[in-house]
Amino acid sequence: MTALLENVLDRAPLGVAVRIARIDWTAMSEDEGRRLREFGLMEGCEVTPLHRGSIFSRDPLALTVGRMKVIIRARQAAAITVESAA
Amino acid sequence: MTGAIPSIALVGNPNAGKSSLFNALTGARQKIANYPGVTVERKAGHASFADGRPISLIDLPGTYSLTPASLDEAVTRDVILGRQDGEKRPDALIVVLDAANLDNHLSFALELLALNLPTVVALNMVDLATRDGLTLDAERLSKELGVPVVPTVAVRKRGMTDLLAAVDDAIRSHGAGEVAVPAKANDASLHQRARTIARAAILSETPVRRWTQRVDNLVLHPALGMIILLALMFVMFQAVYAAAEAPADFLEGGIGVVQQWVVATFPDNFLRGLVVEGLLAGVGAVVVFLPQILILFLFILLLEASGYMTRAAFLMDGLMGKVGLSGRGFIPLLSSFACAVPGIMATRAIPDEKDRLTTILIAPLMTCSARLPVYALIIAAFIPNTNVGGSPVGLQGLVLFGLYLSGIVGALVVAYVLRRTVAKGTGAGFMMEMPRYQMPRLRDIAIGLWQRAWIFLRRAGTIIAMTTVVLWLLLTFPQAPEGESQVEYSVAGRIASGLEVVVKPIGFNHDIALALIPAMAAREVAVSAMATANAIDAGDDEEAMAQSLGERLQGKWSLATALAFLAWFVFAPQCISTIAITRRETNGWKWPMFMVGYLFLLAYAAAGITYWTAVAFGLG
Repeated sequence: MTALLENVLDRAPLGVAVRIARIDWTAMSEDEGRRLREFGLMEGCEVTPLHRGSIFSRDPLALTVGRMKVIIRARQAAAITVESAA
Repeated sequence: MTGAIPSIALVGNPNAGKSSLFNALTGARQKIANYPGVTVERKAGHASFADGRPISLIDLPGTYSLTPASLDEAVTRDVILGRQDGEKRPDALIVVLDAANLDNHLSFALELLALNLPTVVALNMVDLATRDGLTLDAERLSKELGVPVVPTVAVRKRGMTDLLAAVDDAIRSHGAGEVAVPAKANDASLHQRARTIARAAILSETPVRRWTQRVDNLVLHPALGMIILLALMFVMFQAVYAAAEAPADFLEGGIGVVQQWVVATFPDNFLRGLVVEGLLAGVGAVVVFLPQILILFLFILLLEASGYMTRAAFLMDGLMGKVGLSGRGFIPLLSSFACAVPGIMATRAIPDEKDRLTTILIAPLMTCSARLPVYALIIAAFIPNTNVGGSPVGLQGLVLFGLYLSGIVGALVVAYVLRRTVAKGTGAGFMMEMPRYQMPRLRDIAIGLWQRAWIFLRRAGTIIAMTTVVLWLLLTFPQAPEGESQVEYSVAGRIASGLEVVVKPIGFNHDIALALIPAMAAREVAVSAMATANAIDAGDDEEAMAQSLGERLQGKWSLATALAFLAWFVFAPQCISTIAITRRETNGWKWPMFMVGYLFLLAYAAAGITYWTAVAFGLG
């Protein structure tokens, strides 16, 4: 199941809140999936991607989940399908 | 529960402010050791209930759940469940929650509460929550969770007293009920419950204050953020030089005065020689660097406590990802600038096995504080104390910066090669919570510095003192006949002469050959060894004794040799503690042996290339 590129968190514009529609848990290891859930990244929750990488790389991605700011890699963000939070 | 001192564990998510709370509860009465078998730090301390009964507190590594993702998280689980060797199961838990991050931290709290141990919840950092526009109802939260909830701010005494009183009550009122085994909780439902409870406990919520976001926009800017990080590192290394000069001179002067006093007071005998030339010259030469080491640690502690360190890890992740590492590795590697031992221990937070192994193997390439005495001595003696082209940038500081940079670049190259050869694996992940910005607490910084200073001085008093004394003995016997150099004639001198054959091609002289072997014990011993050898050489010559070690080396070494010596120490694996910790962390001799081998090869090549280049430019 591959999501449309525009709809994954990895491609979402910075600074705009989006809602997580689906997470492809098979695209990551069990540990990674659990850590995502421990961060509160689950279907239905709202996140705002904020910062991406440095001059060296697009990796990683910083986003807010609730009152928390977390860092994930682009690879995981690519497995997260998002929709407009409006 | 009668008789034994109750032991209480502090447990909570990373960034819940556990360590500050621990410091506030125990003050300086804490002890850092390792759990047997694993190198996870065991932080324990003492405190007492209001009526004076003593209690023992343990600060457990922060984790998100009882299902561990890394080695240190596993220790937290094992201690709480009573499975950790050398640690009895805690009699009570203090679950530390970040008041401003309730919905997230409550998941773990719920998991812990299901264990049915006497538990008190510390609603921590309520001051920061207020800053962020949150008003919380602690009583409501307590009702929802079924355990006492005490609002705490680590700088205020009041919350601490209440917290311990609540723990006391919880232990007393806890029946001999069965302690539950952890339920295999469905994490989605757990998070759902956590969110419902958090919502009930939040009275009002105004939008988050924006200044921290503005700071992050600047600090995490793809280009500007990188420049800020580099500038911070540069200032750090300049400060290590500039600010430490006065206190270091003071210490050096003090040691000189003591030496002269001993010489003037006691008759010339074996013991006086041992004290003046062995202990005072050797250990003194190392202790002089305490101010520099403390300044370096001060910076690291401040960066960590303020929340900047994770931002630095974020910025570095892209670059480190290119060589197969992750931003997670930045923190252990930066700690390795102080000492590779805690640095290697900090790698246990890296979940990916191969990522972790690579980080361990390159940690010794970060210029640790033990190299600082060597660098400082040689730079002060051979690099002129001028500014670069009229700018405020000192040339000595610049050379030091260059040495640090060489280590870093070397490490990146080595990591790149290792990740494609012996430590091959899938791309490492990088998932981390970004802590909020915080004013570092004076007490936390002071305790951290005190612990580092103590560890350094204890090393100076034991390993370094012992190697210095042994070396002094080897240098003193057999006595050289009239007209022959004592240092050359001694046992140590003869061993060094043998080694000199091997290191002569890369520009090393007898002095250096002599210093290299004892420097295996600890790098800074290279300095104390040369100091001892020179002190013996100087004998009772007051003029020579008044001369600093640097001044004496200036007369004996060429610039090319000095530079080669510096290059050697960028790479050389000369520290037994590092080798030992690597063996423990990798469960065997294979990787430490590999590390020693590749580092010696690199050191030899680097020193050689430096020497031959310098000679070619006429500096020999």
